[in-house]
Amino acid sequence: MEEDLKIGVYLCHCGVNIAGVIDMDELEEFTKTLPNVNLVRQYKFMCSDTGQSMIKDDIKEGLVNRVVVAACSPRMHEPTFRRAIESAGMNKFLFSQANIREHSSWISMKDKEGASRIAKDHIRMQVAKVSKLESLQPQKVKVTPNALVIGGGIAGINAALDLAEQNFHVYLVEKTATIGGHMAQLDKTFPTMDCSACILTPKMVDVNQHENITLMAYSEVDNVEGYVGNFKVTVRQKARYVDTEKCTGCGNCAEECPVTVPNEFDLGLSLRKAAYLPFPQAVPGYYTIDMDHCIKCGICADPSVCEPDAIRYDDKDKFVKLDIGTIIVATGFDPFDPTALKEYGYEKYDNVITSMQMERLLSSYGPTLGKPVRPSDLTAPHSIAFIQCVGSRDFHPGRGHKYCSRVCCMYAMKQARQYMEKHPDAKIYIFYMDIRAFGKGYEEFYEIASREYGIMFIRGRLSEVYEDPKDKGIWLRGEDTLLQVPVEIKVDMVVLSVGIEARDDSDKIASLLSIQKTEDGFFMEAHPKLRPVDTLTDGIFIAGVSQGPKDIPDAVAQAKGAASSAAALMAKGEVEIEPYFAVIDEAICTGCKACNSMCPFGAITFDKISGISVINPAKCKGCGTCVAACPFGAIAQNHFKEEQLDVIIRSVLKEGGVY
Amino acid sequence: MEYIKRNRIDKISAKISEEIVKDDLELIRACYQCGTCTGSCPSGRRTALRTRAVIRKALLGLDQVLDDPDIWLCSTCYTCFERCPRQVPVTDIIIKLRNLATQKGRILAPHKSLTHLLIDTGHGVPINDKKWNDLRESYDLDPVPPTVHKYPSAVKEVQTLVKSLGFDKLVEYKPPVNTNSKKDEKPEKKEEKATRKGRKSKIKK
Repeated sequence: MEEDLKIGVYLCHCGVNIAGVIDMDELEEFTKTLPNVNLVRQYKFMCSDTGQSMIKDDIKEGLVNRVVVAACSPRMHEPTFRRAIESAGMNKFLFSQANIREHSSWISMKDKEGASRIAKDHIRMQVAKVSKLESLQPQKVKVTPNALVIGGGIAGINAALDLAEQNFHVYLVEKTATIGGHMAQLDKTFPTMDCSACILTPKMVDVNQHENITLMAYSEVDNVEGYVGNFKVTVRQKARYVDTEKCTGCGNCAEECPVTVPNEFDLGLSLRKAAYLPFPQAVPGYYTIDMDHCIKCGICADPSVCEPDAIRYDDKDKFVKLDIGTIIVATGFDPFDPTALKEYGYEKYDNVITSMQMERLLSSYGPTLGKPVRPSDLTAPHSIAFIQCVGSRDFHPGRGHKYCSRVCCMYAMKQARQYMEKHPDAKIYIFYMDIRAFGKGYEEFYEIASREYGIMFIRGRLSEVYEDPKDKGIWLRGEDTLLQVPVEIKVDMVVLSVGIEARDDSDKIASLLSIQKTEDGFFMEAHPKLRPVDTLTDGIFIAGVSQGPKDIPDAVAQAKGAASSAAALMAKGEVEIEPYFAVIDEAICTGCKACNSMCPFGAITFDKISGISVINPAKCKGCGTCVAACPFGAIAQNHFKEEQLDVIIRSVLKEGGVY
Repeated sequence: MEYIKRNRIDKISAKISEEIVKDDLELIRACYQCGTCTGSCPSGRRTALRTRAVIRKALLGLDQVLDDPDIWLCSTCYTCFERCPRQVPVTDIIIKLRNLATQKGRILAPHKSLTHLLIDTGHGVPINDKKWNDLRESYDLDPVPPTVHKYPSAVKEVQTLVKSLGFDKLVEYKPPVNTNSKKDEKPEKKEEKATRKGRKSKIKK
């Protein structure tokens, strides 16, 4: 067998990414000295058509029967090279990629000699590994044509509708009592100023009425098992204490309910009852009893109040099991809480509010029916200051986030314009650092805000605010950085343009679905440019602000992208998965069952008849836990067998590598 | 603010910012000129100090920042640092600028005369005139504090230290001309004079 090995090593320059740091000719000379290496070639871009052809031709001519490409991360191009090898008639698992870019030239950019040494070790290891690899056959599994969409905001709604239209069944799970998300709280939307409710509520109704959508509002995903195409999802339908079959949404229960609590939909600017509908256009239109505040007085349950007899005080959470093929995560965001920025006086001074509160004040179905007033005396303010970047572009942990929230410049200008349309003589100041009006029609919107509306833009981040005790006006202090003078301005009301942050339960979602988060707390895409809606877990996609701050057009675009990717998987009906499953050697297994409970995917069962454990290849994810757990060494994992790993370690230790 | 001159660009060098970055103050490069520091500055509300402009000049390496009287107006209250959204150590940078200016002998006249007092008396602000003596006595304290005021010979040690560091040359210190036999009386009188002088010059400023 040893004599038959003909390893071809292909060194990629990756433009200057690798060749700019590492001496490729020297690397080639080194590689030629490795055992069983039949030929070494280098090229500027191995991933290009020409590069791939080099490999294919060598295989066809019988020059190589094992391939190592020393280039970027296998995360980037392993599938590319495998496809090339397969098309030349070789088994695609007889290939290995040495990462001499991310693991070598990039991290040791300033130490060329060191980078070269690391690159040699990587090549040495992969050459050793490839000599022990075996041919494998990929597995195919069926994809259930059902999609789960988590989150019923504008992104989730669009993803669900797109999939349903393609005849896939969609389960839309929403945490709160209604779908609509944050967009339902907005009054108008920039830059076209179309009313948010007018464009959102028809979509909400569509979701509710679509025959291919099962809407599960007031529900949360409780557990996710399985793998791409075959997820087993448990959804907890929270008790509404109202029989949804019987509730007609008449609202008598809310009218008679004696308990009032701050309404979270209006961010505490109004009150709601313990029996409530979040807002009049809520979908589904059932009432919900908030058991944290209900005193069980029994008034709403009285037949004279609830004629259909829909009130159920003994209602319990229900657990529903679903078979799901693909999952789209669109869980949205939380607005930043500015209480920690003490110098801005939020919750200390009455007339300092957040932009979400301003949005509700501007809304025609808000607490003031669209006539904004300042909280201290309920009069219309003559002057308003908007403070930008509250909680954004801030390096202080706890006081904000490093990233730009991307929407605050635009919504501040939008709110300012909306207010001036109602009060043309009002004075509006916007304290900004940079105006980021980057979308289609946004720069024009900005220009009109200053030219037509006369909104005052002051370049400077506000330093502090003080309340005038006499009239509850707010003194602002900051610097006009363009004039280079400190300024003091008194206004009637201050709006803090708060940023966007990841949901406080996003960690829970990430661990439920085994998806990753980036440093900023949002869900991580598989590739920032080329796989923006995929996650590193096959079959799970992300959309909307849960992936990173974005405005409505971007959120919708991404949702449609995620739906398209999910549909592609489900339309095909089956998916190829890597055959890296573990195999139990029946001759060695004693049936001790040590591995059974260790498997995180429930892939191992005990076969009573033969008295040994059995692994279900379709369920096995190839994590290797059982291999390590087996006290008798009876389990081997395809592509990562002991001798395959052993040879890597030996190759690098024998030569005294840098590791 | 100066008007732009033709040779303005020549004055920009990375030297000052390099010096600053050397001292683990590299966050100065994160500054995005938002003005939170200027707006927060309690000194800047009364004086010409424009903190943001000082940082900008330092970052651009404008040599003139070392002659800028603004860098001496900071009261080191650290409010700007507390509020800076980029965690720029503003106050530490200003102190570093002061050190750089001092090393190059670019010290304001009132500060110089203060150091002269220090070299002469061992105190930047002498506290041995009658007013202070009476005050201390009223609290049952020794009228003269146990410093160089009490041990005039220790002034020599201060002076030795100052000379060995070359600080006297840096601040252009010239020893008093008539220092003869009457050691006890004369320096004290001189001190008083110098004190008044120092104060006057400050007020003029």
